[in-house]
Amino acid sequence: MDEDEAQKQRLKAAVHYTVGRLCQDIAADCEKQITKQTIAAIAETAFRQCDIFAKDLEAFASEKHCTLSIPSQYNYIQQKSEELALNNQELKEKRKKNAAKRKSKDMEAEEENELED
Amino acid sequence: MENAGNEVVFKKETVAKLLARSFKEDKTKVSSDAVMLVAEMLKVFVEEATRRAVKQADSEDCDTVDIEHFEKILPQLVSFMFMHVLDVSSFFL
Repeated sequence: MDEDEAQKQRLKAAVHYTVGRLCQDIAADCEKQITKQTIAAIAETAFRQCDIFAKDLEAFASEKHCTLSIPSQYNYIQQKSEELALNNQELKEKRKKNAAKRKSKDMEAEEENELED
Repeated sequence: MENAGNEVVFKKETVAKLLARSFKEDKTKVSSDAVMLVAEMLKVFVEEATRRAVKQADSEDCDTVDIEHFEKILPQLVSFMFMHVLDVSSFFL
């Protein structure tokens, strides 16, 4: 195993450790168990996600020919998360409404058919 | 991995090394703030993944979150993170 590969394995292990703790905390919070296999899958995905972040950020940095430097954007991210959550909620309710509408339309159609018969 | 508040976070050094490995150009540097932001985004990713998998397990009346539950929620999770990256990146454009 060369040095590069060794570093990769160390980094993966570090990510796996943190992911494991985060997963266990949340699962315990929700009174559920989570399998080691699931934690490993989440860790692997997070590792790959970081690679995606890096390449995207590098692409944006080169666009502006500058070093990536971000003043505190945590509030923005939090705001966006809340907006996204709200958006998802609204979409869910819309879908529920549409499903209910379709159901009542179907029932009306059924009733009409029964009357005709 | 824990700070004073017992919070689990990704270590800055780990994230910095992960990013450096992925950059195509040797000259690409990343500031401390940017590293912290990516660490935060990774944490959001893991928390979202876990919470959604838990919810999926719940909907199937399972007490144990299995890999299948995670696999089912993965596509939507990826598009969720994609939107996050787009939003954050708008600061650079």
